[in-house]
Amino acid sequence: MSNIIEFQRVSHRYAGGQDVLSDIEFSLAQGEMAFLTGASGAGKSTILRLVARLARATRGLVMVDGQNLATLKPRQVPAFRQRLGLIFQNVNLLNDRTVFDNVALPLVIRGFAHRDLGRQVRAALDQVGLLNKERLYPLFLSGGEQQRVGIARAVVTKPDLLLADEPTGNLDPELAQDVMKIFERFNGVGVSVLVATHAIDLINKLPHRVVHLENGRISDHAPTAASTLGGFAHGA
Amino acid sequence: MARNDRGDRPMSWPARMLQEHARVFFFSLGKLWVNPFGSLLTAVVIGITLSLPAGLHVMLGNLGGLSSSWEGAMQVSLFLKDSVSEERGQALAREIKLRPGVSQAAYISKDDALSEFRKLSGFGEALDTLDSNPLPAVITVTPSATQTEKQVDGLYDALSKLPEVDLAKVDQKWLERLYAIIQIVQRGVMVVASLLGLAVIVTVGNIVRLDIQGRHEEIEVMKLIGAPNSFIRRPFLYTGFWYGLSGGIVAILFVWIGILALEAPVTHLAGLYQSKYGLAGPGFLSCMEILGCGILLGWLGAFWTVARHIHAIEPR
Repeated sequence: MSNIIEFQRVSHRYAGGQDVLSDIEFSLAQGEMAFLTGASGAGKSTILRLVARLARATRGLVMVDGQNLATLKPRQVPAFRQRLGLIFQNVNLLNDRTVFDNVALPLVIRGFAHRDLGRQVRAALDQVGLLNKERLYPLFLSGGEQQRVGIARAVVTKPDLLLADEPTGNLDPELAQDVMKIFERFNGVGVSVLVATHAIDLINKLPHRVVHLENGRISDHAPTAASTLGGFAHGA
Repeated sequence: MARNDRGDRPMSWPARMLQEHARVFFFSLGKLWVNPFGSLLTAVVIGITLSLPAGLHVMLGNLGGLSSSWEGAMQVSLFLKDSVSEERGQALAREIKLRPGVSQAAYISKDDALSEFRKLSGFGEALDTLDSNPLPAVITVTPSATQTEKQVDGLYDALSKLPEVDLAKVDQKWLERLYAIIQIVQRGVMVVASLLGLAVIVTVGNIVRLDIQGRHEEIEVMKLIGAPNSFIRRPFLYTGFWYGLSGGIVAILFVWIGILALEAPVTHLAGLYQSKYGLAGPGFLSCMEILGCGILLGWLGAFWTVARHIHAIEPR
């Protein structure tokens, strides 16, 4: 099976001159689910940003879904991003629109017929267990519910690749586990999933590959779970 | 690759554009409706800016109507030689009437001229002291309304060379001067209108710029989930459209109020000249022109701003 994400000797450097990623060799197979771990600033988010073409590699080759991102013209970026499902820690919902309208937005952008929106949006909300909240505004929802609306918005277009950056960062362990289960369910139907997280306790229980980053390089060390450090529980 | 197992597909391009434009049409109107007072203020500001050139435009239309209602003054008077008989004079009038570019030619005999003069001048008694009738016979020629100034000049030249004609007179100098003045005023109105049109563009542009800044985050989210620039731009362009349209409506309202305010004194003044001349408000066509200009300017203002600002916003 081919790789949906392929990094070959990728480096990324901020405008200031500091290397955030150096010589990253990494791939995610079609239909695979994997976690990116590492301390804050290790480069987890940068990898996701490179995949979503929110940033460009300074050196090396980034291929996503068969597309070399270095040759992608700026006007082709929107169409490329439409092929991904993006989920962020700060959920980025539009607070002046209902849950329904937020989840429908990617479909509206893609030009789906108005009459088809309802069914697809409700299917997505059903998958994250928020079917009864479609008429509410995001600010009336709890943090966990907002995060799930964000997931519904990312999956409503049935993308082949889901990228999630600290999706459980603001959630208590139980809700975090729920969110991970949702990702596993999507992976179960063939969606490739890449999750950047430092919820080590949570992912240690899950049977997926973990890619650990240290100082902008992929490390062989296993990530250290917060629970083994003594005294500190995982959380925000 | 596509896992569209339920056959959900985007619509064809025309259907999709139709739906999208209809959606944004009402969406942007709704956005303005959320803040009715602010939107109304903006419409009034644009309306005031538009109403000045619109009002001048309507006034010029009225002046044009004034000069055309006096088109009768564009008459050529042919004073016939005394040797020309009455029969010949009447025949000549009929001949002239058949010429191209002539709408009326009336023969006024020496006697008719005398009685008319007697009636209108009040010098009747003075005339009685004269032995003979000093007034010549006259043919008054009215060029048809479609004739240009040059053509009327040509007609005048041809008629004055007729052997029966002693003297031809066309008193249109004052009309030419009026036209010249109207032309200057028209130019002035165009200059003022261009400047104020620019003001409308800048006003709408500034409002849309503030709107874009206020919705910075929303635009970022849209770009994150793959919205192309055209999609992000559309609501702002429609906002410009609505501002222009509402400004145009306000401008028409203001022009009507202005006409109503001027109507009574103008009618009074016209009455002093024994004229029934009255001011006309903007007609249907003028109203459409004002609305069209408003919409175009509003749209331009929005387009100009959005084009400059939307590229600058990129998700971090």
